[in-house]
Amino acid sequence: MSKPKVAFFDFTSCEGCQLNKLNLEDHLLDILEHIDIVEFREAMDDKADEYDISFIEGSISTPSCIARIHDIRRRSKILIALGACATQGGINAMKNLHPIEEVRETVYGDDKYLFPTLPAMPVSAIVKVDYEVNGCPMSTPEFLKVLKSLLAGQEPIKPDSAVCVECKLRENECLYDRGMVCLGPISKSGCGAICPSFGQFCTGCRGLVSNADKNAMIDILTSHGITLDEAKKRLLLFNSYDHSQSMPK
Amino acid sequence: MEKYQLNTNKIESFITHLKNKGKVFAPHKSGKNSFKFNEVENPDSVVLDYNRTLNSIKKYFLPPREVLLSFSKKEYSFEKSTIEVEKKIFLGVHNYDVKGVLRLDYNFSQGNPEDNYLKRRADSIFIGVSYEPDEYHFSQSVGIPLHDTEGFDIYLEKNDSGYTISAITENGQSIVDGFDGFSEEQAAPSNHVQFKNRLKYNYNRLPEVFEHSWNASVWEEVSKRCVGCGTCNLVCPTCYCFDVEDNMDLSLLQGTRERNWDGCMLNSFAAVAGGENFRETLAERQRHRVYRKFKYITDITGEPWCIGCGRCTAYCTAGISIVEIVNDLCDEYEAKYLNRPVEQSGLNAARL
Repeated sequence: MSKPKVAFFDFTSCEGCQLNKLNLEDHLLDILEHIDIVEFREAMDDKADEYDISFIEGSISTPSCIARIHDIRRRSKILIALGACATQGGINAMKNLHPIEEVRETVYGDDKYLFPTLPAMPVSAIVKVDYEVNGCPMSTPEFLKVLKSLLAGQEPIKPDSAVCVECKLRENECLYDRGMVCLGPISKSGCGAICPSFGQFCTGCRGLVSNADKNAMIDILTSHGITLDEAKKRLLLFNSYDHSQSMPK
Repeated sequence: MEKYQLNTNKIESFITHLKNKGKVFAPHKSGKNSFKFNEVENPDSVVLDYNRTLNSIKKYFLPPREVLLSFSKKEYSFEKSTIEVEKKIFLGVHNYDVKGVLRLDYNFSQGNPEDNYLKRRADSIFIGVSYEPDEYHFSQSVGIPLHDTEGFDIYLEKNDSGYTISAITENGQSIVDGFDGFSEEQAAPSNHVQFKNRLKYNYNRLPEVFEHSWNASVWEEVSKRCVGCGTCNLVCPTCYCFDVEDNMDLSLLQGTRERNWDGCMLNSFAAVAGGENFRETLAERQRHRVYRKFKYITDITGEPWCIGCGRCTAYCTAGISIVEIVNDLCDEYEAKYLNRPVEQSGLNAARL
C-alpha cells in the first residue's frame, strides 16, 4: 500500500500551527514512515495535484481565500482544520465585531481599495471539514492523535469536556482559588490544561464545549470580581465568529 | 486501646519513624491556598492542620489516569499492567475521606472485583487526624461525626500541646510500637469544635425526600447556573466512573489501553454510538449526580454515598452547593407532600 499523500496549507494566520508541527522533532521521522508530504510551503518547494489528507491552517478572510479553499477541497479526500483560526475563526474574527469598512480603513488607510477583505470565517463556513484539531497554536499531541487514528482507519475522538476536567486530573489548584478568573469551565479540553498548569488563566483558544452556557459563564466571571464588559471581552477573544454570526447586521 | 501524647516538637521525628515502616503519604501545601496528598520526603513539609485536600486519597487506589494493558497488533497479543502490592501509610487523613475509601471498597469489590483497585488498596494504613470544620464540611449530617474513627488504624486528636494518639487496630499498634518520643504527660483536648454547615434532614430521613424528588423544580433551577464543567464529579471522593481509550503509538503496530476519570456531568458521559445521549440536559445530569450520592447506592447499602467533605461545593466556580440542593429538595418535599406552607418551611421562593 502506498503512503497517503499529505499537504499543509496556510490561510490568514501567524503560521504558528505549521511551525508547531516542525517542532515535533522526536516524531517527525516516525511520521514520515507513514505519510508522504507532497506540499508544505513553510518546509519545502514541491507541489502536487491531489491529496489524501489536507491540513488547513488559518481563517478565511479574503475573496481569494474562498477560491483557494474551494480548489484545495476539490483536490482533497480528507480535509482537516488546524488551530483556532481554521476551526473557529480565531482572534482574526474579532474584526467581525466592527463594520468591515472601518476595519479596512484602520489597517490599510488610503490603500484600502487594494485589499479586499471579508469578515474572518472558520474553514467550515466555506467547505466541508472532516476533522478539527483545536488550539492556539494547535495542540501537537492532538494532531498526532488525529493523524494516527486516520492512518489506523479509526474515527478520531473529539474532546467535548471542559478544561476543568484536565485541571482536576492533574490536581491543579483552581485559578479562581488564586484570585484569578479563567474560561476553563466552558472551554474545550484536549490541551492537558497546559495554561492553568503553569499559572496562566484559560482564554478559550480551543473553542467552547458544545453545550457552553455563555450567560452562566458570564455570571461566574462577574461574581469573581470582573466587570460585565471585561467578561464579555474575555469570551470574545477567541470566539468572536460565533458571536458575530448571531449579531444584528 | 493505647493512648499516647505526641508533643508538637516530636511530630517530625514521629513522621521519620513512620517512614521507616513504609511509604508515607500526607497533606502538603499546594499552590497559594490549597493542600494536596503527596509522598513525604521531608517530614517538616507535612501539614496536619488543613481544611481539605484538592483530591482525596482515592487517587492512590484509582489513579486519574492509568494504563490497563498494552497490546500488539503485530502479534495479536496483550499484556496487563502489573501492580505490586506495597505498604502505604496515609498520615493526616480526615475521617470523611477514609469513609470515602470504605465506600469505594464496596463499589470495587461487588460483582466482578476490580483487581487494580484492590491491589493498590491492599496493605494500606490510615492514620487519621482531627480537623476543624469550615463552612463547607457537613459530615455530621451524613452520619460521620467529628471523632468517628472507623477505618483508621491510628487517630491523632489535636490538643493544646500536640496530639493525643490512639492506636486503634493491631496494625496501628505495631506502627506506633518502637517510637520513643511520646510524652509522659497527657494533655487535654482542644476546645470542642462544631460543624458550621448541615443538611436540613439527617441522612436517615433523606430516602423519603429522594423518593419524591425526581420531578423537583430544584434541578432546573440549579442547571441555570451550572456550566457542566464536571469539577463536582472529579473532586468527589466517592465518584469512581472512568472512561477507557485505546492509544496507538506511532509505529501503528502497538499501543496501550488507558483509563481516566470521567464524570456524569460531562457531555460525552452518557453519549452512545449513533449520537444519542441518555442525559442530554444539565438538569438531568445534576439529578443523576445527586441521586448517585443519596439514593441509588443508598437504597442498597443504607448509607449515603456523600461523605460531607464539601469539595464539590468549595471547588464549584458557579457557587453551587450540594447542601443547598438537598435542603431545597427537603423544602420542596415538605411543601408538596407534607402540606406545609412554603414560608413556614423556609423554602426560598425566589429559587422555586
